[in-house]
Amino acid sequence: MSTVRTLGRTAGALGVAGGLVLVATPALADNHTATVSVLHGVPELPVDVYANGERLIDDFQPGTLTDPLELPAGSYDLALFPADAPDGSGDPLLSADGVSVPAGANATVVAHLTEAGEPALTPFVNEVGDIPAGQARVTVRHVAAAPAVDVRAGGQVVVDGLSNPNEESLTVPAGTVNADVVLAGTDTVAIGPADLDLAEGATTIVYAWGSEDAGYELAVQSISGQHSAPSGVPGGSAGLADDSGLPLPVGAAAVAGVALAAAGAFRLARSSR
Amino acid sequence: MRPAAASVVLGLALAVGAPTAWALSRPDAAAGPPVDQVLERPADPTTAPPASTLPEVSVRDAAPTVAPEIAPPARLEVPGLGVTAPVDPMGIAGDGQMALPEDVDRVGWYRFGPEPGAAGNSVIAGHVDDREQGPGALFPLRTAEPGEEIAVTDAAGGTTRWRVVSREVVEKDVLPLDEIFRRDGPPRLVVITCGGPFLPEFRSYRDNVVVVAEPVGGTTP
Repeated sequence: MSTVRTLGRTAGALGVAGGLVLVATPALADNHTATVSVLHGVPELPVDVYANGERLIDDFQPGTLTDPLELPAGSYDLALFPADAPDGSGDPLLSADGVSVPAGANATVVAHLTEAGEPALTPFVNEVGDIPAGQARVTVRHVAAAPAVDVRAGGQVVVDGLSNPNEESLTVPAGTVNADVVLAGTDTVAIGPADLDLAEGATTIVYAWGSEDAGYELAVQSISGQHSAPSGVPGGSAGLADDSGLPLPVGAAAVAGVALAAAGAFRLARSSR
Repeated sequence: MRPAAASVVLGLALAVGAPTAWALSRPDAAAGPPVDQVLERPADPTTAPPASTLPEVSVRDAAPTVAPEIAPPARLEVPGLGVTAPVDPMGIAGDGQMALPEDVDRVGWYRFGPEPGAAGNSVIAGHVDDREQGPGALFPLRTAEPGEEIAVTDAAGGTTRWRVVSREVVEKDVLPLDEIFRRDGPPRLVVITCGGPFLPEFRSYRDNVVVVAEPVGGTTP
């Protein structure tokens, strides 16, 4: 689990000592920006999202996700207001001050419910390292107002005992899996089953979100571009296309030519004596 | 005396001429500009430094979706070389290399990369030969010349047309795999088989024959 701090619903801005620190990951193109996505996982609560007092997202609906934002690295004060609020003044629904966004980080900030059903803002660091050819990375995050769950793929438990607001990552062969979410240790299906497309060379992040009253759902975020090339291309076992040396007939002709020339030279030398 | 002199001349001509003629008649190891130069990524347009204000935000539904089906390539044709081969979508073999069809009369399309005509390099590869099956569909690939036309027909009947810009024999050890399997940039078709010296102790060839083709202008892939 990445460094995460969850904020309670207390009205008004909660200053968070030290802020939220996202772990920087290397190998991103720009040295001065970070990649941040925002997912809305609080049921039935459209919001406006403000960053440093400026409106970043207008009328953000539950179950939607922003495309990745390239943000200048730095410190951000984030605040969520009801979508019908006129501006970013007054008391926010939720806030997080001094969220540190280091250069090169790739993160998703999730507005969601805690296990107890309180709204919270949780930043997750997205794993974006290279994935072996043919494989896919899948990350499962529990951000629903629900106790611990198991995640099953094709009926088999693949993530076991995941609780809010935690995550688990797996690297699996790329392809489509039929997944569902059950209450931990039971066969009681909470979400699904649903077909999930686990694209090769990409990270598919699956969020379990919602509440008992509003219903539980899956949200999916995909981060591509972490693919690796195959280690090579094989291609032949007979040697029929071998071009390492002179073919036998050509070599034989050359040898015969040398012999013929030598014989002629020998006769020339003898007769001229 | 005369016949002796004639046999010297004839003999020398044969000794020098046979290998020379052979060397001249065999295909060059490369034709066109080098493969890694052709595959080189075009320079990124210089991007403006990030503005200090917040970016525009686009938002979308996060509900799970299933990737749209694409029609995979089904047939590869190089009329000038007499090549016609069925194409199978292939992934990764157990050893981490690109998987190829066992049947040397068939070729494989790397299904994790772009389909022909999409952005990036679509890679089609096949065995040059097999100890039991003999020469493979791509056996003539090492004689492909720049300008040679290639057609790829997909399972839905759509065709993309290509023109060879480069052919090169590259040692497998230094094959620019990341460039060859690139998934962004202009659409290209890369056709690969084996070639170069055969290494009997490994039952394999030392090199790969790599042909790079670009879309024929005017066709919409």
